[in-house]
Amino acid sequence: MASIPPEAAAARCRIEIDKLRKGFLASGNEGDREVVAVDDASFRINDGEFVALLGPSGCGKSTILNMVATLIAPSGGAIKVDGAPVTFGKPERHVGYVFQKDTLFPWRTVEDNIGYALELAGVPSGERRGRVAEAIHQAGLDGFARFYPASLSGGMRQRVSLMRTLIANPEILLMDEPFGALDTHTKLDMHSVLLDLWERQRQTVLFVTHDLGEALTLADRIILLSARPGRVKQDFRVDFARPRDAVALRETRQYAELFSRIWHSLGEEFTKSRNA
Amino acid sequence: MRRIATLLWQVAIGLGALAIWEWGWALHDRLPWLVPDLLDPYFVSKPSAIFQQFLGMSCLVGRDGTWSFATDGAFAKCMGRSDNNLWIATWFTLKNTLWGFLTGVSSGFVLGLLLGRSDRLSEIFYPYITAFNSVPRIALAPIIILAFGIGDASKIVTAWLVVVFLVFFNTFEGARSVDRDHINAARLLGASEWQVTRTVIVPSTMAWLFASLSPAISFSLIGVIVGEFIGAEHGIGRMIIEAEARGEAAGMMVAVFVLMIAGVILSALVRRVQAYLLRWRPAQQLSA
Ligand SMILES: Nc1ncnc2c1ncn2[C@@H]1O[C@H](COP(=O)(O)OP(=O)(O)O)[C@@H](O)[C@H]1O
Ligand SMILES: [Mg+2]
Repeated sequence: MASIPPEAAAARCRIEIDKLRKGFLASGNEGDREVVAVDDASFRINDGEFVALLGPSGCGKSTILNMVATLIAPSGGAIKVDGAPVTFGKPERHVGYVFQKDTLFPWRTVEDNIGYALELAGVPSGERRGRVAEAIHQAGLDGFARFYPASLSGGMRQRVSLMRTLIANPEILLMDEPFGALDTHTKLDMHSVLLDLWERQRQTVLFVTHDLGEALTLADRIILLSARPGRVKQDFRVDFARPRDAVALRETRQYAELFSRIWHSLGEEFTKSRNA
Repeated sequence: MRRIATLLWQVAIGLGALAIWEWGWALHDRLPWLVPDLLDPYFVSKPSAIFQQFLGMSCLVGRDGTWSFATDGAFAKCMGRSDNNLWIATWFTLKNTLWGFLTGVSSGFVLGLLLGRSDRLSEIFYPYITAFNSVPRIALAPIIILAFGIGDASKIVTAWLVVVFLVFFNTFEGARSVDRDHINAARLLGASEWQVTRTVIVPSTMAWLFASLSPAISFSLIGVIVGEFIGAEHGIGRMIIEAEARGEAAGMMVAVFVLMIAGVILSALVRRVQAYLLRWRPAQQLSA
């Protein structure tokens, strides 16, 4: 252990995925058949990296993310978080997850949703209130603390979801198309919010999306998956300067260039998944 | 405009029905084809007689026809004459209804939660629950009176029995349909098994429980009245049976009206509680 070279220590590997495979048993009229959602996927994510997992719908992005989150068990391969293999059903404490679906607790107000993780951890109510108020302010939700999720817009609900996860200060953040259901304008808005929050903490992020523009706006790296069964097709570096402006970035030449380079490759996979 | 018209219609229909009830029988001999025999005051009494009877039964007016509160101590004396006057009977019926409701709702909820969240338990108990559920609960009332006597306990047990199944099935259904993603979200936010139960399963099942509160309070009242019919020392049900034995239609009608008012008030209260507890639901779902 004493002989770790300095550059390796600087780029500490947080998530390591090795030959990951997942087959689902699908029952049809010709008996049970295995649907391979993910096959032989391998990649590594270093500390503080913002990585987008990009691919057409149904290529196994959620499946990979859910395996990292220990929500589903892999059929083969290995997942290591901070060097230790993860166990199915035992989520790591410092890993946060933001769902694609709205999973706010409808019976809790905005502030009680955001404070949920602190409540579980037994943080005293005085401290909790302070941290929740700060989170509400950071997410631009001032004045909505006592509202129930049902009375909020989709964008606001997703901000609450984000803060509910971020308040526990996770070092690793898994996000599954968190803005997938939002309209373009709200989505851009949310990109700014997320970039802003991320600049403060520089968490390690694995962000699933099928939206190339979103991946380019947010990520340092884009891992392009092939059509089902998902495996890593290409790995792109996105070295636009930070902090980024989610709107202005889209008008730059570098953005346009990288967009068209990835677009072509992504397009092939979209065609394959349509014909599959 | 529409609301006023509706209100006018409602008042007109109510007054019309009362008028037919009050004066319809007078036409019976002349127009027998128009006035059914059922309107005979011997069976259904008349609004005016019922009101008179109410004043007497509630000790507001003494036997001599004067207001009780005009004479010192007349009300207390009238109240002391019977241990099942209108006030005491109403008190006992309401008290037992509430107890039946509370015990039925709480035990139904716990059972529903346990069986709903445990496939093993629900598998084992399934045949017994279906068997019990197909017995009309009211059929057990005489057995319960026999076992628990004619006091309050038997009324509470009867009411409990009708309420518990209703609440059980609702809770069971609710406990099975807890959103998996809510449970996963809680786990990923650091919840232990017990914390998942307390902060996700119980609150989301509660929503289903609340939906059963309105019918539960009505069922509870039915259970208590049936129990009182069969054997009781106090209660509105017993008043009805006694009035029937004396052939006193007005007395029965007073009791029925008291039950109607009690039913309306209890349901309204439960609905208020329900609306408050379910305030987090989107508005359109509340009315459903
Ligand atoms: N629980 C499951 N049972 C059977 N098949 C599944 C299940 N979950 C996902 N799949 C299949 O696996 C493939 C990948 O799904 P998913 O990971 O959700 O894709 P993505 O998130 O990239 O859109 C899809 O073809 C889907 O039908
Ligand atoms: Mg998905």
